[in-house]
Amino acid sequence: MSTLVLEKVSKQFGGLQAVSDLSMEVAPGHITGLIGPNGAGKTTVVNLITGVYRLSSGSVRFGDIDLTEAPRHVVARAGVARTFQTIRLLPDASVLDNIMIGMYRHQKSSLLSQLLHLTSSRAETKACLDRAHGLLQRFGMERYAAFPAGTLSYGDQRRVEMMRALASEPRLLLLDEPVAGMNDVEAQKLGEIFLELARSGMAVLLIEHNIGFVSRMCEHILVLDSGRRIAQGTPAQILNNPEVIEAYLGSDFHA
Amino acid sequence: MNFLIANLPLLDLVLIGTGYAFSQYVVLRSGTFSVATPAFAALGAYFTAIMAVKVGIHPLVCIALATLVGLLSGLLLSIPLARLRGVYQAIASMAFVEIVLSLNLFADSLTGGPLGFNGIPRYVSTWGLFIAVVALTVILIRMSRSGIGRVFDAMRQDVSVAASLGVNPTRYHALAFGLSGAIAGLFGSLDALRNYSLTPEQFGFNALVACLSYVVLGGRRSVWGPLVGAVILVTLPEIARPLADYRMAVYGLLLAATIVYMPYGVVDSLIAWNQRRRAQQADTSLGGGTA
Repeated sequence: MSTLVLEKVSKQFGGLQAVSDLSMEVAPGHITGLIGPNGAGKTTVVNLITGVYRLSSGSVRFGDIDLTEAPRHVVARAGVARTFQTIRLLPDASVLDNIMIGMYRHQKSSLLSQLLHLTSSRAETKACLDRAHGLLQRFGMERYAAFPAGTLSYGDQRRVEMMRALASEPRLLLLDEPVAGMNDVEAQKLGEIFLELARSGMAVLLIEHNIGFVSRMCEHILVLDSGRRIAQGTPAQILNNPEVIEAYLGSDFHA
Repeated sequence: MNFLIANLPLLDLVLIGTGYAFSQYVVLRSGTFSVATPAFAALGAYFTAIMAVKVGIHPLVCIALATLVGLLSGLLLSIPLARLRGVYQAIASMAFVEIVLSLNLFADSLTGGPLGFNGIPRYVSTWGLFIAVVALTVILIRMSRSGIGRVFDAMRQDVSVAASLGVNPTRYHALAFGLSGAIAGLFGSLDALRNYSLTPEQFGFNALVACLSYVVLGGRRSVWGPLVGAVILVTLPEIARPLADYRMAVYGLLLAATIVYMPYGVVDSLIAWNQRRRAQQADTSLGGGTA
């Protein structure tokens, strides 16, 4: 089981310090929460971990793999999956195809075998198909299997993105506001899946606006403001931290 | 039967056009906007002509080597072009077509220059072309069903998503370029061994537009798209022969109408309609509403 470790990670965009000196850990078997107001740098952190942006300084390690300089596909191959804040599905492809592309990192048949679709390639496609149906069942989405993903409702598109991330059987799952736009019942249902994943030994980083949802999901929460970590601890500690309250609600709130 | 024999040369053109369309299709399907197919075809065709006539190598060996030449030039071209996207990639690959064309004109001691290359033995029959197209169609259909097809579809729709799932875009762009080059090299070679002669203009800007039109009209997702596109666009000017000077106008109108009413191309639009209908039927039979 591997832990994600960020050490003194910083990122500048020109003169803007998006993330400064951030150190944090995401341990396997738990959901770690990352919260903060709009523009705090939460999504930037995900993009730094996954190799979308290059770090200005600091390091990212996952278990014994150094991901500091790794490009996106290498990070993914190390077992890191993510969902996007703004949903990014393959809109014209069917729901089933969207899930199957998630299994890419486990495919082993050679290019030649795939080009001619020989026995090993066929067996692989069949196995992917079976697993994709399993995921559809788990999320109660079987009837949408053949639908083009772009035609689904917002909540269902979020679920498809989640299934795609899970299809890669990640060891680390980065969830960028996964329940945004869902009602409490829907969010709770997805939340139960997150907890189940963590219990199975996955390391999960949950980025959220909704403090209530994060406190139910996580034992450990970090708070980011203007790219800086201003607090970390249990939900109870975070909710009573004056700095956190100030960051979220403004300083007048104390009065 | 008489009609068929009378139109055999046209059938040859359809089959060759289909081969070039497949070459253009492979890159477009993977989300690579390269239009280098005529350049690869020229390399394959002239390589074959020189080897067969000046060196005296057996035509079959020439065909195999020309395919290899196409493959290698595709892989090489992918190195500078993989960093570019969209129209920039298209312009750069267009430049490659022009470079091959001018090299062709300058190296006239080898290629015959503007006069063309004449006296190539005829070795490939309509049957030969037919077998090549069928074999290629089968391979491409199988590839579509494999992981490569899934990766190409993903890259076409969103390269960053594909990368975030572990796909190395550089590698698959190179694969697409290599396949496109190999297919064009093969059909360039078959073209040379069928036609007795080659001219540089055969592989110029008009050819580039033609290859692109086949795939735009037919569709760039299903393997049947480029095939249908090539059949329609190669035969159309012949069928429309009575219209004489208005033939190109009909050609243009047909393309414009397709882009407006079937933006995914004839085949892909039909497949999409059918899928949507079937999905809705399945949904209503399960008692669900519309999604």
